[in-house]
Amino acid sequence: MLTKQFDPLKKKQLQILDENGNIVAKDLEPNLSKDQLLKMYKTMVLGRVADTKAVQFQRQGRMLTFVINKGQEAAQVGSAAAIEEQDWVVPAFREFSTLLYRGAPLYNLYLYWYGNEWGSHFPEGVKILPVNITIGAQFNHATGVALASKFQKKNEVVLTFIGDGGTSEGEFHEGINFASVFDAPVVFIIQNNHYAISVPRQKQTKSITLAQKAIAYGIPGIQVDGNDVLAMYVATKEAVDRARRGEGPTLIEAYTYRLGAHTTSDDPTLYREDKEVDEWIKKDPLIRFKKYLIEKGYWSEEEDQKLYEEYNDYVNDVFKQVEATGFYQLEDVFKYQYAEMPQHLVEQYEAYKHYLEEVK
Amino acid sequence: MYEFRFADIGEGIHEGQILKWFFKEGDTVKEGDTLCLVETDKVNAEIPSPVTGKLVKLNFAVGDTVHVGDVLVVIDDGKGEVKPQPVSEDKQAEEQGVIGEIEVSNEVIESSDEAKDETITATTQKVLATPVARKLAKDLGVDITKVKGTGPMGRVMKEDIIRESQAKQETIPAPEVPVARPEVTLPKMEFKDNVERVKITKLRKTIAKNMALSVSVIPHTTSMTEIDVTKLVAFRKTQKEVAQQRNISLTYLPFIVKAVVLTLKEYRMFNASFDQENDEIIYKNFYNIGIAVDTEDGLIVPVIKNADKLGIFDIAREIQELSSKARDRSIGLDKLQDGTFTITNYGAAGLSFGTPIIRYPESAILGIGIIQKKPVVDNDEIVIRDMLPISLSYDHRIIDGGDAGRFLARLREYLSDPMLLLLS
Amino acid sequence: MALMTILQAINHTLDQQMEKDSTVVVYGEDVGVEGGVFRATAGLQKKYGVERCFDAPVSEAGIVGTAVGMAINGLKPVVEIQFSGFMFPAYNQIAAHVARMRVRSRGKYHLPLVIRMPYGGGIRALEHHSESQETLFAHIPGLKVVIPSTPYDAKGLLTAAIKDPDPVIFMEPKRIYRAFKQEVPEEEYIVPIGKAKVVKEGTDITVVAWGAMVREVQKAMQELEQEGISVELIDLRTIKPIDKDTILESVQKTGRFLVVHEAVTSFGPGAELVSLVTQGAFLSLEAPPTRLGAFDVTVPLDKGEHHYLIDSKRIAYEVRKLIKY
Repeated sequence: MLTKQFDPLKKKQLQILDENGNIVAKDLEPNLSKDQLLKMYKTMVLGRVADTKAVQFQRQGRMLTFVINKGQEAAQVGSAAAIEEQDWVVPAFREFSTLLYRGAPLYNLYLYWYGNEWGSHFPEGVKILPVNITIGAQFNHATGVALASKFQKKNEVVLTFIGDGGTSEGEFHEGINFASVFDAPVVFIIQNNHYAISVPRQKQTKSITLAQKAIAYGIPGIQVDGNDVLAMYVATKEAVDRARRGEGPTLIEAYTYRLGAHTTSDDPTLYREDKEVDEWIKKDPLIRFKKYLIEKGYWSEEEDQKLYEEYNDYVNDVFKQVEATGFYQLEDVFKYQYAEMPQHLVEQYEAYKHYLEEVK
Repeated sequence: MYEFRFADIGEGIHEGQILKWFFKEGDTVKEGDTLCLVETDKVNAEIPSPVTGKLVKLNFAVGDTVHVGDVLVVIDDGKGEVKPQPVSEDKQAEEQGVIGEIEVSNEVIESSDEAKDETITATTQKVLATPVARKLAKDLGVDITKVKGTGPMGRVMKEDIIRESQAKQETIPAPEVPVARPEVTLPKMEFKDNVERVKITKLRKTIAKNMALSVSVIPHTTSMTEIDVTKLVAFRKTQKEVAQQRNISLTYLPFIVKAVVLTLKEYRMFNASFDQENDEIIYKNFYNIGIAVDTEDGLIVPVIKNADKLGIFDIAREIQELSSKARDRSIGLDKLQDGTFTITNYGAAGLSFGTPIIRYPESAILGIGIIQKKPVVDNDEIVIRDMLPISLSYDHRIIDGGDAGRFLARLREYLSDPMLLLLS
Repeated sequence: MALMTILQAINHTLDQQMEKDSTVVVYGEDVGVEGGVFRATAGLQKKYGVERCFDAPVSEAGIVGTAVGMAINGLKPVVEIQFSGFMFPAYNQIAAHVARMRVRSRGKYHLPLVIRMPYGGGIRALEHHSESQETLFAHIPGLKVVIPSTPYDAKGLLTAAIKDPDPVIFMEPKRIYRAFKQEVPEEEYIVPIGKAKVVKEGTDITVVAWGAMVREVQKAMQELEQEGISVELIDLRTIKPIDKDTILESVQKTGRFLVVHEAVTSFGPGAELVSLVTQGAFLSLEAPPTRLGAFDVTVPLDKGEHHYLIDSKRIAYEVRKLIKY
């Protein structure tokens, strides 16, 4: 069991692919098909391009506040690749590439950050809960979804996420505790990107690792190199399998770094040194994964360049579609609050329509 | 040409300062290239170019302050005319006056005068009155600010408004009777053409209001019957000349008034008002009989005050005087008030029966039709008689059909026997 | 005197109070090193050290709960909830403890603490960043709720809040954080809690507003003035306790009443004010006392928010209706 092998209390960290793209734990290298590996890589690239472009769109006044994912693609995709068709994803708000991998259309993701709730209305069969902005609440939701699966014998596993800052919220603890008491089939992933907005991970908790928090709940925990997509895959896979066997939840700390700002409203130069960022740029998850794929003969620099160009155009196209939606219908403001509009809402809706007609 | 405007790049930013340009005018930029670095209260941000093209104009120098909405640069994107930037230029947003209209920070608002001595302005208090009283004043066209209130703390009471209204309406017959009633919104009347719209007179307006009020408040019912007045007809004939000598034109009406008053004395419910708010019936110990007079402008109802104290000739004289004054509109308001029961004579118009509308807040009204000779059965023989058709409408909340039957039976006794009438 | 925005006035006031009173401590998420996500606490940690201005873990319940303990034990915490939409984890502390410590201990303990939080819409923000929850606090016995609408009042009210022996919820209209500047005296002064301000005298209708809505009403007034409608504008400033006298005196004069708020309509602050006016100025009313609040819906994201936010046009429309009533 990896969680025994990589005891967080002993400051062990699971890594398979190092920052130079070398396999450092040959025995743990997952046996993934070329197709699956390429799917993972391409999703990471799409995530990177869409993320970069979203920040640009925002700076041009075309996008609202956007949460930046750059640097965390391996943590997001490696985990997502380890669950099955029937499984659920319960996100926090920095899982852009996870959602892409699990079938959320880029159009939806952009539409949401563009300020339109329809972005959270995913297509049929995409088992993803809406992004959760309030910190930590999703851990309890994930546990609930997992328990419902268990009670109804649906064989679904739930993959949920939180940030390093989120581990300070009560609901982080409540969610894990609840899940562990009932052996809920859920995998809790902390994307430790080292900053909760401006507050560094060391100021968030005195625990040496975040993974060690699992021990207090009596569940396995493991710290993983979050920029190593293979390690993320392997660790999550083991946790998912355990969950599916009915052996309860696992806590995974994805040790990664946010290369960008917290959001487009944030200025990281106020709280961290460029030097530190430069160190992490060297550990970019995309670079090492690309090297691995090229090494395996699955990929080439030419294909890579083409892929970026292709995605650049694709993302531009999708965003143009998003921009074309403009403001949504007035009815949308009222229609979805309840199954049926109660009288007071009907009255407010009608009165406002009347007003709009009158002031026209 | 593309005019690139500076946007709110951080949750409520109004302005920023240019820290650095990465291109100069004339340079070619690619979409996504960083144009400049801007410092704001919240972030230092690289501003990327939205399009590919040639930088035609940089509108701000390093160190300049740029406000949200300012055109930062103009880029020749090979598309000719100035292309407005999406989103922040959205017209709908501007119309709605919310999005993209965040004010700029340089505005200085008036200093607070908190520290200064408060200037105490004499507050002129508004008139005190309940909403119901205000509504009443509005309905009656009374300026409530001119009404002297008699209630607590000088509050204007409903009664005060009614008094004011009556004093004011000297020239308007039939004071409107106040009562709170539910608002009804009437559907709009729309006719394509071939109609003429004529403003109604004040009198007509009052009539309309009073009629509507009465009908909306009082559940009406009408009982009808015919009375054999053959003897009365004969009697009147004998007295007509006498009356004429006294300058009185003797109609049947004075007899009917007399008979009604006698009957009312016995059946007091018909000389009463129903005070629904207090669950009380108000019996009146005076008999003021209103006579509906058909004038050019509409119905006016002068009142014969204390009719129970008058003889037939007195009544006849009163009727004569009141109706002529009503017709030339010289009648005083006091002659139009305080009726307790009303008689309406549509017989003069050749009609027999009607469903008269009670004058609110009275409890009944008697309609009299035209006296006609009719064949009737008397002792199994068909005989010709003078028949008076009458219709009695009454407030069904307090008067039942049986009451009406008894009332009419007694009235019949009086009217069919003039001697009894005179002796009573 | 210096020209300041609301945000600068808050920063200046915190600085002044920390300097004058060594028991004042300031903390919350990102308030230390970064100086707050809106920079309301910028420079304070540098000046007063990490024990008087520090970054809290991401834990609203922890921030407010520890403030209770600190207040009991000799400090005056002025804590920041990053956005009012994030205060719900702390709501248990606020409702169950902050509001009740004095009454539960019959005055043995009291809580001289201030909970600051930016609130309100109109900044094209993400979910949970645009709500107006003043009623959720005002409804709890034991709390005072304050909302400034100008830099001058921001300083005076925050000073009063920090000096208040009881807990004060200090809600900041972030939409106008930097929207304008005003002369703010350098010396310490107080704008009393519980006192509304007649911003402009008028004769035809009393309009009560607070926060960002004050400016919207002022915009509406320019329009209405040209139509000959004279509005008396009252900036409520303190949501609780309400300055009943100022409002009633005004309504007794004008005979008409409109309250405008960003919060959703049903069971909102307007209901309280309309009730107060109905009872206290019943005999002066020429039109039904009326509230204009947001629709009873979750604040829409940007692409629907323009329908939701109340602007000067709707205020003017509502005023005209009441004048014509």
